[in-house]
Amino acid sequence: MSAPASLREFELNQTRRQLFGRSALGVGTAALAGLLQQDLSAAERTGVEGLHHIPRAKRVIYLFMSGGPSHHDLWDYKPKMKEMFGQPLPDEVRDGQRITGMTAGQQILPICPSKYRFTKQQNNDQGVWVSELLPHTAKVAHELCVVYSTYTEAINHDPAITYIQTGSQIPGRPSLGAWLSYGLGSTNENLPSYVVMHARSNHAEQSLFSRLWGTGFLPADHQGVLLRSSGDPVLYLNNPAGVSRNDRRAQLDALSVLNQAHYQQYGDPEVLARIRQHEMAYRMQSSVPELMDLSQETDETFQLYGDDARTPGTFAACCLNARRLAERGVRNIQIFHRGWDAHGNLPGEHESQCRDIDQGCAALISDLRRRGMLDDTLVVWGGEFGRTSYCQGRLTRESYGRDHHPRCFTVWMAGGGVKPGITYGRTDDFAYNIADEFGNPLRPQPAKETWTPGTMHIHDLNATILHLLGIDHRRLTYRYQGRDFRLTDIDGHVVRDILV
Amino acid sequence: MQYLSVSLAAAGLSLLLTVCTSDAVQADEISFAQDILPILSDKCFVCHGPDGTDREVVQLDSPEQATRLRENGRAIDRENPGQSTLLRRIHSADDPMPPADAEKQLTVAERDLLSRWVQAGADWETHWSFIPPRKVTPHVAAATTPQVIDAYVSDQLAARNVKLAAAADDRTLARRAALVLTGLPPEPAQLQKFLQDKSDTAWSSYLDELLSSPRFGEHQARYWLDAVRYGDTHGLHLDNKRGIFPWRDWLVHALNRNQPLDEFLVWQLAGDLLPDATLEQQVATGFVRMNPSTAEGGVIPEEFQAKNNFDRVETLGTVLLGMSMTCARCHNHKYDPITQQEYYGLLAFFNSTAEGPLDGNKYEYAPVLQAPASVSAWGNWQQLQEQRSQLLQQAQELVGGQSPQQQEQWQQAAGAARLQLLAAVDGAFAGTPLQEQAAQLQQRLTDLEASYSTTLVAKELDQPRLTHLLRRGEYDLPSGDPLQPEVPAVMGRFPEDQPRNRLGLARWLVSREHPLVARVLVNQIWQRVFGEGLVRTPEDFGLQGQQPTHPELLDWLAVELQDSGWNLKGMLRQMLMSQTFRQSSAWRGDLSDPENRLLGRGPRYRLDAEVIRDIGLWSSGLLADAMGGEGSKPYQPAGLWSALMHPASNTKNYEQDSGQKLYQRSLYMYWKRTCPHPMLTLFDAPSRESSCIRRSRTNTALQSLGLLNETQRIEMGRELAVRLLKSLPSDDARINLLFELLACREASAAERQACQTLIDEMRQRFMQSSEDAQAVLSAGESRAAADLPQAELAAWTQLTVTVLASDAALLLY
Repeated sequence: MSAPASLREFELNQTRRQLFGRSALGVGTAALAGLLQQDLSAAERTGVEGLHHIPRAKRVIYLFMSGGPSHHDLWDYKPKMKEMFGQPLPDEVRDGQRITGMTAGQQILPICPSKYRFTKQQNNDQGVWVSELLPHTAKVAHELCVVYSTYTEAINHDPAITYIQTGSQIPGRPSLGAWLSYGLGSTNENLPSYVVMHARSNHAEQSLFSRLWGTGFLPADHQGVLLRSSGDPVLYLNNPAGVSRNDRRAQLDALSVLNQAHYQQYGDPEVLARIRQHEMAYRMQSSVPELMDLSQETDETFQLYGDDARTPGTFAACCLNARRLAERGVRNIQIFHRGWDAHGNLPGEHESQCRDIDQGCAALISDLRRRGMLDDTLVVWGGEFGRTSYCQGRLTRESYGRDHHPRCFTVWMAGGGVKPGITYGRTDDFAYNIADEFGNPLRPQPAKETWTPGTMHIHDLNATILHLLGIDHRRLTYRYQGRDFRLTDIDGHVVRDILV
Repeated sequence: MQYLSVSLAAAGLSLLLTVCTSDAVQADEISFAQDILPILSDKCFVCHGPDGTDREVVQLDSPEQATRLRENGRAIDRENPGQSTLLRRIHSADDPMPPADAEKQLTVAERDLLSRWVQAGADWETHWSFIPPRKVTPHVAAATTPQVIDAYVSDQLAARNVKLAAAADDRTLARRAALVLTGLPPEPAQLQKFLQDKSDTAWSSYLDELLSSPRFGEHQARYWLDAVRYGDTHGLHLDNKRGIFPWRDWLVHALNRNQPLDEFLVWQLAGDLLPDATLEQQVATGFVRMNPSTAEGGVIPEEFQAKNNFDRVETLGTVLLGMSMTCARCHNHKYDPITQQEYYGLLAFFNSTAEGPLDGNKYEYAPVLQAPASVSAWGNWQQLQEQRSQLLQQAQELVGGQSPQQQEQWQQAAGAARLQLLAAVDGAFAGTPLQEQAAQLQQRLTDLEASYSTTLVAKELDQPRLTHLLRRGEYDLPSGDPLQPEVPAVMGRFPEDQPRNRLGLARWLVSREHPLVARVLVNQIWQRVFGEGLVRTPEDFGLQGQQPTHPELLDWLAVELQDSGWNLKGMLRQMLMSQTFRQSSAWRGDLSDPENRLLGRGPRYRLDAEVIRDIGLWSSGLLADAMGGEGSKPYQPAGLWSALMHPASNTKNYEQDSGQKLYQRSLYMYWKRTCPHPMLTLFDAPSRESSCIRRSRTNTALQSLGLLNETQRIEMGRELAVRLLKSLPSDDARINLLFELLACREASAAERQACQTLIDEMRQRFMQSSEDAQAVLSAGESRAAADLPQAELAAWTQLTVTVLASDAALLLY
């Protein structure tokens, strides 16, 4: 096809506009890298490049526990609370922290120790306590960096989940995944660059929203693509009934002639871009089914992930898919598991939730490790906030509920340049406040200039994730309404203490 | 990595050279507003901007501040420019400004510009968009270019020694105009009529016909729906259903009757505050209620009272002021001269609406009204209102002859009650023809009211809520004295004679002195027509936004909009009458302007999601006539909503419609804000959780899959194939009709050949497999015509689906 001479100029102009119209180190570079990379031949392509510095991780798999898992019952072991069963939480611990409308009316806020047994697991440091609810995860404790001191300001689900995923409590901003897609592009032209999965849960209560993988004001092609366990794995992937792959080829051949005729007449380079996308769609029609076909996976792999992994849509199956996506060059993978919002009957619900995820999490770590992929794959596990030290509703030794708690919660990370087998940060005796090494509350605030060592605000978490992927969170920006927006708003500090 | 770095650097260098030579500014023509202020804003204001509170820090946003004598001199010294600390610091290697670690650095060219500006005396001007627009006569003589738009555009082209491109052919233009105005191609008969009209008024008559089509209001409404973030659900947490679609149908109605845009805005912001507000005026205030809302268990009402108001202020900023207010929520604006105090002054206008901060997950999130529930119902409503006032006026003339008691009764009755008096069979008017007519009218009104549906409206509290500045934008950190409603000073004064409420605010916005509103609106209208605005950052007319490509033209149009009585149809007509619009959109060899900033070619862009779907429905004859009503729910892959939603949500199950609702125009599709229909979001529709006045236009593989595989696409393709097969006998003629419908022209030889090849191949293929043919024909709810050979129909379906997905159908050109 003969491109008008001015096409090349168009592309250069695009580049020029982005380079000079905006911060030379912000969006310009991101878009420029994409443009130039398209120009490189396959042989010249260097594969994964960091945007601002050499990345530790080439890809990220984010296991998002929607609803707010209880750090008390899974990770943050507080034996002292056992002695204070049912006593009111001391006022000085709460220190004026607002509580939600759901427990604001309670007469007392009784201390609610976890009913679960914790065992200390060896790691590469002082060891880490893990709840009996997570027997498989306990076995990979030496790979995990367990952060006790993650915190947020939001106290309700919708604002909190929107905050941790988009950097703002009010809808309208791009999601973490969209930022990554924008900054990193793709290394596999036959699969989407950002894939989202929803894992099944028996307690799928709190809603999810498209905005959590949406693009806000970024171009819409950076939105997460849902990989579904029923129907078409990718929306509209399959040809309509009665249409064969050959038929589609014939259609696309005709389409290509039609569109090239249009191009010849108008010289619109967008037409060429669309011709390429039609071809990519055609390739996706074979690459996605290949991805979803687990028949080549060994029995041993299924033993690792558990029998659940044979059932599409389970968390284990999503984890196995995540590994397969990662192997195929998808750099940005997110699994959402709902049902962690245990206001009452926490034990019943969390036992079921943990059964859903425990083996899958552990298997994913082991599987990536044995394939030599863990070192350059960042795995993140966590929710939008933690749960209270006090009981919501009726407290018994066997059953209790916990309300939302923003001041501290546990997140773990593994691989991708994060120190394996360590813990980071501390909480007080009630896992209510982030604390210093003597157990005194720190009560950190997110701030642009200062950062309190030992703490990880959600902006810090996101800054650290971007950093590991080769992106400076302060420099990945997009101008909208005159402001260079970024994921971490005006805050965010890379928590270097946990980096290899 | 290394390779990339090298190539980046090399590319950067060569581009730098290009830019410096082509865009260099001559010393004598430095414009503060165009050349200097953008540099100061982008590179300096982050520390030295209008938000400065520390008196020791130099402020560069005003001449008084910048030239003030400080300990170490003046930042800008007009007497001795060479002594200016600004110059010293920007050229200093040891102590540079911006500091070495600043995120944004000055370029060589920028340093040079700043130096020359200071040396020349550092003239200051107000940012262009804060000066009210006025009309300036273009240089090109009116005699050579009767159209003002063309004169301004030609002015700039002349500087490059080129002229406007030749006009596109009539067929292309007919399609272009119809798509811009109505969002659909022209009807074949309409097209033929235009082509055969050889008079001088052919084009203007054609435009007038399009402007009077009821499809006009539907298409134009879509842009406003994005701007105001219209949704059929509350948007947060459970994302339950919300009663609001009567507002959407009112919108279509208002646009079709070409309501003047100033009145249009006043009603939407404050219709409830107008004297004797009509139902229509009250319903219009749904605009104020459009913010996403929540009732999540445990949320704190005060927090959402604040958040709902933030959302309103910021939407107002984006949609009408062309400016982000968001910065000033937490601190003085970094770039634009808007203080935090002013933000909360603006917020005070909205803080006294009567609804609670939480929606209770209710469809009837009060205050609500019952209102006409479709576009045609609004048409009926209006007709009946007119009849009523006519009847009452006639009756008024008879009242004089009635008893004093009856006269008094009449005087005391208001509108509806008067009609009742008039209609009473045993009343004062009994036996007159008027009584009979009134009784009939009353019956028709009652019938109409029976079909009313709930819609959210704004009402004002009797006692206004107190508004405080919120420190850091935190709802629980109010500070200082209560603020009275106030407008940002940089945009002019609040009129003395207006009430300090939403009504006064609305009237201030549409007053002639307002520097922004008319410009912002006319830019949005331009963008609908040309694909890009004259200001290419339509959401930002502030210091960080782009300068208009044609500043005088923008101002001329803004004033023209006001002069014309805020006439939307008139403005569109003027734009489409221009040669600028009618130019061919083909690439020009003689003009290097890939982004078409000089407007030296016609518009060209991919059509919006809704238009793409509507074209398919229209060409296949499936498009339903019914306008409006509750959001329609066409085919959607199973499980999309249930995979996301809380079990208690009343939008967790998608209940697909059947019958005509499947084929309504896309603007009526049910808008669930946390999960809009994927065929819309695939083609860049926003979520409508926040305001959007410019959609992105992406090209993705997923779009290709949607176009070729989605159920409705196949169903539309099949019905279009039926139409072709039943209208014409030969392959050639059918292929021509297909292109006639979608591209307003016959197929070219190459296109015809490609289509013929595909049809031959598919014919063979489906002759061999009737099973597959049946499968292809089974898409959707409607049944395939049984009286056509099924293999033939399946083969043609494959072709129509393909051509519907081709750029000849998807693009405006």
